[in-house]
Amino acid sequence: MAVNGWILAATVCLGGGGAAALWGVTTGPPARRVVAQNMTTSALCPALLLLSQGYGRPAYVDLALLLALLGPVGTLVFARLLGDDLEGGRPSAWGLTWTAAGLSAVVVAAVCAATGPGRAMVKLLVVGALLIAGNVIASRALSGGFRGVRGG
Amino acid sequence: MSDAVIVVALLLTAASATAAVAQRDPARQALVLSVLGSVLAVLFTVLQAPDVGLSQLAVGAALTPLLIMLSVRKVRRRGRTHDAAAKDGAR
Repeated sequence: MAVNGWILAATVCLGGGGAAALWGVTTGPPARRVVAQNMTTSALCPALLLLSQGYGRPAYVDLALLLALLGPVGTLVFARLLGDDLEGGRPSAWGLTWTAAGLSAVVVAAVCAATGPGRAMVKLLVVGALLIAGNVIASRALSGGFRGVRGG
Repeated sequence: MSDAVIVVALLLTAASATAAVAQRDPARQALVLSVLGSVLAVLFTVLQAPDVGLSQLAVGAALTPLLIMLSVRKVRRRGRTHDAAAKDGAR
């Protein structure tokens, strides 16, 4: 089988992002752990998109859609219920957040360019928008931007 | 080439599962467990079982951490009121 660039990119994305998130989530103070848990979504979702393109199966985009939808929900659960532990140092990693958002945008644009216009492209754009919006919302909630989230 | 993806996903799954067991605090375990759920969903996708991956994603990424965190909060709260009652009784 010829070397598939999409799957190679997915491997790099999965290995790098997954390893970094795992290292962050197992070490350090609770604030950093929650940020790393939030990073999992933004690392694995582009990998899933690239995999679906690499395998040539558009149906696999559903997984990325569900992850983009449920990942921020999971992070908000932690932001809400870990409120006491997070009081010491509010985690704010805006550099990381915007890097992850940029990665998602680049991946979505590349996959969109490969699929061409149509319904599949609209779906990809929805996934990208959900991913970036969820990432930013979760980061704001973690850094204490929402008063409602804060009162645990 | 597709073997490399499977190897990476398997290694990540093994590492995160080991890390989840090695943590001492239940809240931190829940954090690692949510990472494990997402990685496991990717592993299922890589092994061409996206339907299993979908359900794993729904359960592992959001539902299991939610249940664990709710139980941890309830236990902590009960412990706190217990301590307060014990202090009052000692007086």
